[in-house]
Amino acid sequence: MASVRIVNAKKNFGAVKVIRGVDIDIADGEFVVLVGPSGCGKSTLLRMIAGLEEVSGGEIYIGQREVSHLRARDRDIAMVFQNYALYPHMTVSDNMGFALKLKKAGEQEMNDKVARAASILGLENLLERLPRQLSGGQRQRVAMGRAIVRDPQVFLFDEPLSNLDAKLRVQMRGEIRALHRRIGTTTIYVTHDQVEAMTMADKIVVLHDGLVEQIGTPLELYDRPDNLFVAGFIGSPAMNFIDGRIENGEFKAIGGLALPLPEGLPAGKFAGVELVYGIRPEHIRAKADGIQGTVDLVEGTGSEVYAKLDCQGQAIYCLFRERIQIEYQQSLCIGLDPSLVHIFDKATGKRVVV
Amino acid sequence: MISTDRAVPSYRLAPNYRPFVMPALIVVCAVIIFPWAFTVWMSANDWTLGQARTFVGAENYINLALDARFWESLWHTIYYTALAVILPLFLGTIAALIFDEQFPLRGFLRGVFVMPMMATPVAIALVWTMMFHPQLGILNYFLSLVGIEAQGWIYDQATVIPSLVIVEVWQWTPLVMLIVLGGLAAVPREPYESAEIDGANGWQKFRYLTLPMIGPFLMIAVIIRTIDALKSFDIIYAMTQGGPGTASETINIYLYNVAFSYYNIGYASAMAIIFFILIVILSFVLLIVRQCTVWSQAGDGK
Repeated sequence: MASVRIVNAKKNFGAVKVIRGVDIDIADGEFVVLVGPSGCGKSTLLRMIAGLEEVSGGEIYIGQREVSHLRARDRDIAMVFQNYALYPHMTVSDNMGFALKLKKAGEQEMNDKVARAASILGLENLLERLPRQLSGGQRQRVAMGRAIVRDPQVFLFDEPLSNLDAKLRVQMRGEIRALHRRIGTTTIYVTHDQVEAMTMADKIVVLHDGLVEQIGTPLELYDRPDNLFVAGFIGSPAMNFIDGRIENGEFKAIGGLALPLPEGLPAGKFAGVELVYGIRPEHIRAKADGIQGTVDLVEGTGSEVYAKLDCQGQAIYCLFRERIQIEYQQSLCIGLDPSLVHIFDKATGKRVVV
Repeated sequence: MISTDRAVPSYRLAPNYRPFVMPALIVVCAVIIFPWAFTVWMSANDWTLGQARTFVGAENYINLALDARFWESLWHTIYYTALAVILPLFLGTIAALIFDEQFPLRGFLRGVFVMPMMATPVAIALVWTMMFHPQLGILNYFLSLVGIEAQGWIYDQATVIPSLVIVEVWQWTPLVMLIVLGGLAAVPREPYESAEIDGANGWQKFRYLTLPMIGPFLMIAVIIRTIDALKSFDIIYAMTQGGPGTASETINIYLYNVAFSYYNIGYASAMAIIFFILIVILSFVLLIVRQCTVWSQAGDGK
């Protein structure tokens, strides 16, 4: 086990700058999720840590050792790939034992370690099968088994659940967390799915366009997003963004809609500045004397009701956790909790509320 | 006007599909079953063309077993086939690994490399015969440049078969290369990344990943090459006619001589039957071996 430190890491593919100077500190034993939209460079960053991509600039440390220019096989890491990358012609036990075989480990040691990993993952009965004879979830486990057998300093996961169906994904999510609790190896996990990030991570790194947008615990990111990108990316359904300015101690949206401001906001300081008002759909309540709007869309799932309201030309999405009866084109009044409102500077995208 | 409500006929013919297979059946009988059965029948007769035919039962087979020239030609066939399979397989695999990499002019060079396959065997034979010529041939000239003494090539009993195999290798290595290249294209790339992380070096990646994964394709190449080499006739006949003496006489050449030089149809038929059985046995063995190397098929039928 080891800490991982990434200092000003850069990666260029020709003229294209994919990673543009990333700094991340990962403590020993921590479960860190790199999350971001497609093309943000998260997988590239992981492959740089793994040694599968050259580092164009900056340094990567595993423990005290700088590994930026070491070959993958000398970094003492294990990686689980999106498509599992199992050896198709080898049985499950050969797949898991391959790294040990390359290290010329003894037969006994190899069998012991493979058996141990198999029992952790419940693969005991599948050891003689070939990968093509396994289901997606089983292959995923074998890929993890291969990593466990190595007993590496760091586990790297590259979108390991994206090839599984929704139900299995939830199950494997739990299993990977349980595995981490049990083994305690430092883990870096890449995903584009923010729900996966929120549910699994000790710490989330939000990447966008090759830069770190914010690093924090899942709840920090949810409660206090640093900027518009993180605010829009974390949380599902996405946060409502309403453009406008502060006038007379109120937030005036472009269409004229007036919205309550959080307390303690130095309103005068932002007079005339173009701002973005952010409120999460789940922080909106039905309230008799609130803001009036017309229902444009209703989706009920039983446990919750998702609705789109038109409030003076401004679309506002709401998520009601209680079951309320609303109809298309019906009028509905909503209330916002000002303490859960986020205000961002439109020009810089940065959070402005203390 | 055509009436739309037709009366349903009161009788129906039972459907009979057999006539539809007749054309295919006739062709198969004419070109496969009949010649085969006729060969078996001929092999049981002492029959020289233009002379009387007498039924002799298994006598031709007994004579064959006692015929030293037959055994010698069988050995030549095996020797020739083994070399003509192993060498192209080895060289073709290396060529495929090279052409699988990216380098300038790859497409052009690959085209050049497969050109020998397109040439006519008899033309190849004539050109190589000239190149093999002990006094006038270019090969001995090249050898003299590096200080190696002149060889007899196809004019020497000791070197005639390896020399013929050189021609075979020259012509058919590209075929093996194409097959293996196809295999390499079908090999997934991801396992190489896991192998890199698992600590494999270049040789280990080849030994434990590439080789087993292209195994099924190598076996296809072996099967094609084996069948081709066993029935090889044109190049040998055009270059040496089985000579010097009988030093390059394979079963095919011997069979041809018996049938069409000596007109001993019965004896030649017996030889053909034995040869046929050998090829069938060998094909089965190769197919079984191939089955063992398959890793990619969905569902293994167990």
